[in-house]
Amino acid sequence: MHIPDAFIPIGQAAVYWIIALIFVALSLRWARKELAEEKIPLVAVLAAGIFAIQAFNLPVGMGTSGHLVGGALAAIVLGSPYAAVFILTLVLIIQGVFFGDGGITTMGVNIINMGVIGGFVGYYGFTTLKSIARNAYVSAGIAAWFACFIPALAASVEMFVAGTFPLVPGLLAMGTYHAAIGIIEGAITAGAVYLIYHARPDLMPLESKSGVAA
Amino acid sequence: MEMKSFIAVGIVLAIAIGVTAVFFASSDPDGLESTALFVQGGKTLTGPSPEDGDPEAVGSGTFAYAAPMPDYALGEELGSLGAIIAIIVGVLIAFALAFGAGKVVAASKQ
Repeated sequence: MHIPDAFIPIGQAAVYWIIALIFVALSLRWARKELAEEKIPLVAVLAAGIFAIQAFNLPVGMGTSGHLVGGALAAIVLGSPYAAVFILTLVLIIQGVFFGDGGITTMGVNIINMGVIGGFVGYYGFTTLKSIARNAYVSAGIAAWFACFIPALAASVEMFVAGTFPLVPGLLAMGTYHAAIGIIEGAITAGAVYLIYHARPDLMPLESKSGVAA
Repeated sequence: MEMKSFIAVGIVLAIAIGVTAVFFASSDPDGLESTALFVQGGKTLTGPSPEDGDPEAVGSGTFAYAAPMPDYALGEELGSLGAIIAIIVGVLIAFALAFGAGKVVAASKQ
């Protein structure tokens, strides 16, 4: 879902950058207030892990591949959508600057899609589902599916505004492919939440709010 | 699990995933690229993608930037070895940058 430089005119890319920077500032405020110093290694491990797994494209059929984005994972593990903005921003900077994966002018829109929209959909999807389903891993998996699918629809609208994709075919194809890719997102997120919770339950806020279903 | 071993396990796991990806990752275009091919008429919605498709042809942007390790590799001659080095460098930069950013933010708390 990494939008390259070529896909968005510079004027629009600048607008997305400004919006992204507002959320990056809010994520820094979150980190200053809420991020306990003992969780910094967890943030760093998540950034490294999300970077690595984003390089692992899995086939989803239809001549298409996809990988975990990780916005839902970061938000759920650290208990805030701003954690996703914080971590995905760092990952997207590294991918764009060092590896040419996602553009420089379009880094702002990529932060919005994967960090902001992915993080908020993942986090609030998770808390809502968990209060209904009472199983943290199933809730994490389903929330992560939406955290892949909804940003993909957002990207199709952005591509339409940019004049790059026509609206309906863009929504149809992006929606279809990311509905499939979202299954990867859901499965890996649920698995990673399980592993991290069992390795370091003290670092995960699942228990205190409404209880992880173990 | 102790914090030091948690970090060690995390980094080793990340590198293991990245190195596995070098050999087993799918070379099919991702969802956005596939959509770009689809809207250009380069593929059907559920059909295979062409080997030589250019997803970015649909774009009209003019900005260009040359990354030092494009496509997570170090050029043709280094092949898989270059890709492994690139991914390990990336994992370590990601860890260091996030750790550093976290520490800077923590220091600003006072």
